[in-house]
Amino acid sequence: MLSIILLSVSGIASLFLGFNKSRSLLMPATLLFLLVALAVNLWDWNVPFTLSSAYNNGMMTVDKTTIVFSAILLVSALLVIPFSQNYIDRPQAQPAEYYAILLFALVGGIMMTAYDNLIMLFVGVEILSISMYVLAGSDKRNLRSTEAALKYFLMGAFATGFLLFGVALLYGATMSFSIKGIADYTNANVGNLSPLLYVGIVMVLIGVLFKVSAAPFHFWTPDVYEGSPSLFTAFMSTVVKTAGFAALYRLLAVSFTGLYDYWAMSIAVVALLTLVVGNITASHQHSFKRMMAYSGISHAGYLLIAVTAFQNTSQDAILFYSLAYSVATIAAFGVLILVADKQQGSEDFSAFNGLAKNNPFLAFVMTLAMCSLAGIPLTGGFFGKFLIFSSAFAKGGLNWLLIGAILMSAVGIYYYFKVVIAMYIREGKTEKIALTGLQQAAFVLSILLTLLLGVVPNLFADLV
Amino acid sequence: MIPEIIKTIPLNYYLFLSSTLFVIGVIGVLTRRNALIIFMSVELMLNAVNLLLTAFSAYRSDPAGQIFVFFIMAVAAAEVAVGLAIIVMMYRYMRTIDVGLMNKLKW
Amino acid sequence: MQLTLLCALVPLFPFIGFLVNGLGFRNIPNSAAGVISTASAVASFVVSVLLFSNFLSGGSQPFTAVLFDWVSVGGLKIQFSYLIDQLSLLMLMVVTGVGSLIHLYSMGYMHHDEGFGKFMAFLNLFMFSMLLLVMGSNYLIMFFGWEGVGLCSYLLIGFWNKNVSYGDAARKAFVMNRIGDLGFLIGIFLIINTFGSVEYQQVFPKAVELFKAGDSTVFWITFCLFIGAMGKSAQIPLYTWLPDAMAGPTPVSALIHAATMVTAGIYMVIRSNVLYTLAPDTLEIIAIVGLATALFAASIGLFQNDIKKVLAYSTVSQLGYMFLALGVMAYSSAMFHVMTHAFFKALLFLGAGSVIHAMGGEQDIRKMGGLQGHIKITFLTFLIGTIAISGIPPFAGFFSKDEILMHVYEHNKLLWALGVVGSMMTSFYMFRLLFLTFFGTFRGTKHQHEHLHESPLSMTVPLMVLAVLSVFGGALGLPEVFGFNHQLANFMSPLFEHSKTVNALVGAKSALPHSTEYALMFVSVMAVALSMTAAWVLFVKKANVPASDETLDGMTKVIYNKYYVDEIYQAAIVKPLYSLSEFCHSVAETAMDMLVESTGKLVNVAGNGFRQLQTGIVGYYVLAMVAGILLFAVFTLRSVLF
Repeated sequence: MLSIILLSVSGIASLFLGFNKSRSLLMPATLLFLLVALAVNLWDWNVPFTLSSAYNNGMMTVDKTTIVFSAILLVSALLVIPFSQNYIDRPQAQPAEYYAILLFALVGGIMMTAYDNLIMLFVGVEILSISMYVLAGSDKRNLRSTEAALKYFLMGAFATGFLLFGVALLYGATMSFSIKGIADYTNANVGNLSPLLYVGIVMVLIGVLFKVSAAPFHFWTPDVYEGSPSLFTAFMSTVVKTAGFAALYRLLAVSFTGLYDYWAMSIAVVALLTLVVGNITASHQHSFKRMMAYSGISHAGYLLIAVTAFQNTSQDAILFYSLAYSVATIAAFGVLILVADKQQGSEDFSAFNGLAKNNPFLAFVMTLAMCSLAGIPLTGGFFGKFLIFSSAFAKGGLNWLLIGAILMSAVGIYYYFKVVIAMYIREGKTEKIALTGLQQAAFVLSILLTLLLGVVPNLFADLV
Repeated sequence: MIPEIIKTIPLNYYLFLSSTLFVIGVIGVLTRRNALIIFMSVELMLNAVNLLLTAFSAYRSDPAGQIFVFFIMAVAAAEVAVGLAIIVMMYRYMRTIDVGLMNKLKW
Repeated sequence: MQLTLLCALVPLFPFIGFLVNGLGFRNIPNSAAGVISTASAVASFVVSVLLFSNFLSGGSQPFTAVLFDWVSVGGLKIQFSYLIDQLSLLMLMVVTGVGSLIHLYSMGYMHHDEGFGKFMAFLNLFMFSMLLLVMGSNYLIMFFGWEGVGLCSYLLIGFWNKNVSYGDAARKAFVMNRIGDLGFLIGIFLIINTFGSVEYQQVFPKAVELFKAGDSTVFWITFCLFIGAMGKSAQIPLYTWLPDAMAGPTPVSALIHAATMVTAGIYMVIRSNVLYTLAPDTLEIIAIVGLATALFAASIGLFQNDIKKVLAYSTVSQLGYMFLALGVMAYSSAMFHVMTHAFFKALLFLGAGSVIHAMGGEQDIRKMGGLQGHIKITFLTFLIGTIAISGIPPFAGFFSKDEILMHVYEHNKLLWALGVVGSMMTSFYMFRLLFLTFFGTFRGTKHQHEHLHESPLSMTVPLMVLAVLSVFGGALGLPEVFGFNHQLANFMSPLFEHSKTVNALVGAKSALPHSTEYALMFVSVMAVALSMTAAWVLFVKKANVPASDETLDGMTKVIYNKYYVDEIYQAAIVKPLYSLSEFCHSVAETAMDMLVESTGKLVNVAGNGFRQLQTGIVGYYVLAMVAGILLFAVFTLRSVLF
């Protein structure tokens, strides 16, 4: 858990770096902090895991799953940071604060992947959320950014209330905040569970489902994603979502395995609803960014299928899918940030018209990202869906959900390819966009990851 | 272990009270349009949780619940700081804190 | 080990060609780009020939070349491996052989195009995907190839044209293919679920062990796979993308939309013949869909005026025949027709390309005519192709089509009769095309007339090679009734070992007496000759030219004559035929298009509706969320509450 401490310290350090007049140091320093945190995070790979729990006073666990989830969060952040260049170059920007808050948000995210105690879950969720409220509203001269922050904040605080009430009820029923303690209680009292427990599970699930923007708790997502600066939308739609699913799966897998029959059906229905709402609404959007928001909702639906399936393979599927989804989403947002900057901030599909002519590399990155999100073979997104669907097929009895999901993934093709058509076929003029070296590196890395995930998935499937 | 005086009020009463407080908070969020009042209603929901946790903690002589209450209070304070800042930012633009007027982002 | 290397090389060559041309298409000169990609195609052809001879000398044992472990999920382990057996070798020969010729042809046809390097790169990518499709040893690799060829088809139609309507055609092709692909994907998941594996060599023996013919699990598997085949191989109702796809460059039409990609569905059914034999209900559906498509597309083709559209509908119709053959379990006959069709349809498309090239981009046959003197090689090869597709002995198409019809006759006499009607239509529209294009007088502009020229050697050589194949390709499967050994059927028979244990009819020798076989042949040849003569009378002797679209009352000018007899003939035969063709083309096809597109519309409308839910007002969001919470809570707590 050294990475949490390191990230907190480096967050403070980057605040101090902000005293320096020169801003050029900030981004390299942040990237360095992240790389160190990633290295430290992976260093734990060989630690005897039985010890780590005692070391953290039963608050957090380090095991291979949490390490991989944390690594996905850190890699996502590493990929996002290079695209902050345009945003921090504005005169009114306060880059030191942005980077510090991003690093703090990662601390929250990692806590959500590794918690052993509901206190840690709550603190992690809140660190991540409060950071994101600030970042969503960080474009202070833009009313849309303020509106996004306000909506996110009000809805988020409201949902936190439910999460906490649920936790309190679970505590009342089991006398424990430890997720293992709750599991012990449910195993010991089969058939004689306190009604508080049942209500508590519902409330906690609502709190977490809100964070991963599952329907019908998704209403904040499109507005917040659209209004926030694209940089932080990319961060939100990848890091927050991945952390949310890590938390959700951990809670269900450790505490409530025995109650599968109680919660599974609800999650399955929510998954289908999320898929339908996300995909169908996405198909009728003019703004690329808003489309990506709905697409983010729909991907939460796919991930929820894996949660419902609850097989041995489900966790691997979630990991794999989160990675593939995060990489592709960040690449897409990276292109969007660069393009919108040249198009007077327009984030519509039409901003991409004719992009391929002068910027073939950007167009290619975007095409690959869209293919991956749509689940076309040879990209990571295909195997992500494949693993999720096959774990659900293995579970059996979920065919209605799968048929729905597969049909909805056909709808996905339609809206993802809108932007590809705009880039390659529609007429339009975009001048050559200059990329910094780091941005190029981030794009190349995301291309490589997407293709590697799609061609040799075994490299990653064996990790856990 | 538990002082007798606490037991004179049954645990269920605390449960009902805090649930009622929580629901009042939810209704406040639902019906009010003033951002500050919505915010206060959210705080009411959190305090309902705090009361419930303290009650469980005291009845079962388990300190963990009360520790959690401290965490909630600390985090809620942080949330207040950020939330008020956002509301102030809104007021600067709109000269009002009616959340119903914040609807540029839709569809 | 060496064999594994050879197998790996086959798809690798086109892939390298793709990488070289794709990454450097701005820097590589056109001439070099053409040579690189053609060389890579030829190289993989050479390796395929090596593999083939190796296979024959090694006693025809199937061989699996494992490259690496690919996916492992739980108990499911999928390897990336190629399977070399009779079927994949035959497909390899067709794909790499015809593919190489088309690469060569493209060098001549496309070299003026500004995106030449990119075009050649996509052709190579297509070859690569197609090779994955046919060589893969499991359904997942097949699916990868399956999606890959669809993607390439999309790229080649859409990216060549900067026109939005072409882009729409490309998207239609892609979306329709995807609808089919989803069926295919569901089929794969069902296979995984049922057999715990996707390897052909594990699934098929297990299928025979586990299931009896008519089992519903197998029915669903095969039906879902067949939905995939309907999309890829352009069967009713997912066929309309294929005629639209003719917007792409002609070599693409030849390679993708005639010779190789569209036969993927046939390949898949033959590959899974065990499963299909176990599901007689699916076979029945396949036969009916195939025959309906064959007739439907042929009747639309009767009066089309765009040279490529005629060929496109003809392709759809011929694919229908192949599915008809599959439906009656004549798997090797379907494969036979795949091969001969690849030869003569590629020939016809390339010939059409040569005509278009000579005419300076004109595709309307009403503006052609009398070309035979100007472009002799194209004319002769086109003639050969026409004879071959019409099924006139002893050209290739005769043997394969006749074999299919014979099997159909054994199965059901009504289907056979309809099949003969279809082949009459085939020869009518093909000869109509030939006569209108090459006979009579020239009807184009003066400028075009001066411009007429034979295509360069790089285009005519592939034509000649394909013409030779179209003439002698039938030798692969000379029927036993003539005292020959049906070589292709014998070669392929090990593929059907498992099927035979399920249903003895598979691969069995025909039970029909020789006299009946002769009679069947006679009937179909006479029918073909009859419609050929009709075409000759109409379009050569009377030199009718279809009215141009601008003429309102087109029918009065369709057939220009003064004789009473002709008017009866017109009223009784031509006019109904024309109306039928028009009906199928404009009404039925539009209806089918609408059916497919209305789903899209529905999504769009629903999308708009769902969009309105997002009002932008926080109070409303909270209300919706509380409602959601209540519903979620009640739904979850239902088991505890009630």
